[in-house]
Amino acid sequence: MNQPVSQKLFFWTLVVISIITLSAPTLVVLGASLTSGNIIVFPPDGLSLKWYEALVEKQELQDAFIRSIWVAIICVFISLPTGTLAGIALTKYRLRKGALIQTYLLLPFTIPLIGSGIGLMLVFGEVGVLGSLWPVGVATAVINLPFMIWAVSSSATGLDPDLELAAQNCGAGPVQTFFYVTLPSVMPGIITGSLLMFILSLNEFLVSLLLVDARIVTLPVQVYNSIRSIITPDLAAVSVVFIAVAMLAIAVLDKLVGLEIFLKSK
Amino acid sequence: MNRIPAVSASNVCLQFGDVHAVKNVCFELEEGRFLTVLGPSGSGKTTLLRLIAGFQQPNKGEIFIKGQTVREVAPNKRSIGMVFQRLALFPHMTAAENVAFPLKMRRFDVRMIPDRVKKYLHLVRLEGLGGRRINELSGGQQQRVAIARALVFEPDLLLLDEPLAALDRKLREEMQLEFRRIQKELGVTTINVTHDQREALVVSDQIIVMDHGEIQQDATPLEIYRSPSNPFVANFVGVTNLFHGMLESLEGQKVAIRISQQRLIGTLKSEKLTLNQGVSVKAAVRAEQVRLFRGQSENRDCEVYFEGRVTDVIFEGERILYELSVAALSDALIRIIHHDQQDFSTFELGEVVFVGWKSRDMHVFVVD
Repeated sequence: MNQPVSQKLFFWTLVVISIITLSAPTLVVLGASLTSGNIIVFPPDGLSLKWYEALVEKQELQDAFIRSIWVAIICVFISLPTGTLAGIALTKYRLRKGALIQTYLLLPFTIPLIGSGIGLMLVFGEVGVLGSLWPVGVATAVINLPFMIWAVSSSATGLDPDLELAAQNCGAGPVQTFFYVTLPSVMPGIITGSLLMFILSLNEFLVSLLLVDARIVTLPVQVYNSIRSIITPDLAAVSVVFIAVAMLAIAVLDKLVGLEIFLKSK
Repeated sequence: MNRIPAVSASNVCLQFGDVHAVKNVCFELEEGRFLTVLGPSGSGKTTLLRLIAGFQQPNKGEIFIKGQTVREVAPNKRSIGMVFQRLALFPHMTAAENVAFPLKMRRFDVRMIPDRVKKYLHLVRLEGLGGRRINELSGGQQQRVAIARALVFEPDLLLLDEPLAALDRKLREEMQLEFRRIQKELGVTTINVTHDQREALVVSDQIIVMDHGEIQQDATPLEIYRSPSNPFVANFVGVTNLFHGMLESLEGQKVAIRISQQRLIGTLKSEKLTLNQGVSVKAAVRAEQVRLFRGQSENRDCEVYFEGRVTDVIFEGERILYELSVAALSDALIRIIHHDQQDFSTFELGEVVFVGWKSRDMHVFVVD
């Protein structure tokens, strides 16, 4: 309890530095978005909400935002059943070549995004579906699937194998056992994984960049395009909206399963 | 009597590679009786229970419930309720939902489910707690939910897989009696698995002692205790002194054996018809049938006695456990359970006293 002052000072300096470093990007963007001037600067040049108002008129940003949401929804729609079943199967059954399958499923994670992006671009191009929005959703689902599998597996690892036997003993057939017992037991992992997939897909830039054309840009790509022409504070404002959506997702997560479980689920 | 047993097994075997988890198990259990399968961990007792529940299939042999083989019957189609070792209650359901689950799955009339759930929560004395989630209940209350869930659909057979093992002693003894009460009240045929000999003796009508996947003895609690059929049972149930010796002569059930130069008389428990002199035997004497006394004049009824030195005195509350080293038996250690209401701690550590027993209390088994 009676630490020397120097030790205390060192400790608190570290804490303050960490907090500043971690929150700096968010704070800078937030500050910049509130500027009343016409160029993006930090600290802001006077305070106003005019750049948020400006967002309302920026049809292309709004469209891009809605497209991003669509991509994220498609991503969850695909990865939820796939990742859930894979996660449960990998934990529950000692599969033959289980380790091999596990490595294979985690592969997207180990390949540089630009690599998988180009691969997916070639595949979708070959099939002739480039130019629609749904391949972007599929692509983000594929590259982020390991997160979903991890979230579900970590929930399933804590599952008492006797629970399913108990369900059978109660008279439940295999399908009933799955829906009444197995699925509810891994629900925290499914919720965690789905929200994670949603956020990751919403934010995905590199792969989106390779798969979209001018008609279907997603929000991160739209922001990137704008930066290349003129940097106006509305980009900061849209980033803040973006951050707000991600925070909302985390708030939902906390409400549904508790942040503690989410942090523990790796 | 030509009644069909509620449960029976004939030559049931389960083998994993070279390991026999369950080997040639045969037994019969009459309807309404309480059977305990007793054995150390790894004896195959839980595996046997899982075979009966249908979670595993025997390699050989048949299990019959009410005279019908259940080989082709899936676990969810068997009329068996089970209380699991770790209870396996569904954590995302309330106590009442857990109890209602088997009724829903077994397609009972929806209108009668609430009443039935209420009746069984009452039976296990959990009235008013049905709305609680599982993690809001105490260990003992969770046990009761598990019992209610296993019984609510009125199964032909109740299986208990050491559900009391994790409880502290006082709660365990309370729940043992509770199991007994509910079992008698409903008259449901029950198979209980445990490694706790006390529990087995207290609750059962019939006990099967298992070791290495094989049945060692199948008898009433009294017979198991008074008349164990082999050294394993003698040693596993109760506190027993075992001696190795050689057969000298045999006269009816009365047998003379030699243990390190001493000739002792005992009662033969093995059913061997042709016995030769020099066959090696094991002799067992229960710790509570051994007497301690200071002078020979104090000897009441011991036909065999030796001098021994007290090497340990363990006070266990209602009794004292002594350990003596007996020079005449090559310094064999003999354990004695001493109940003396008048005068506890009669014998001191290091003291030389007499230790003896009656010949009929020494059970002699032939070692194969």
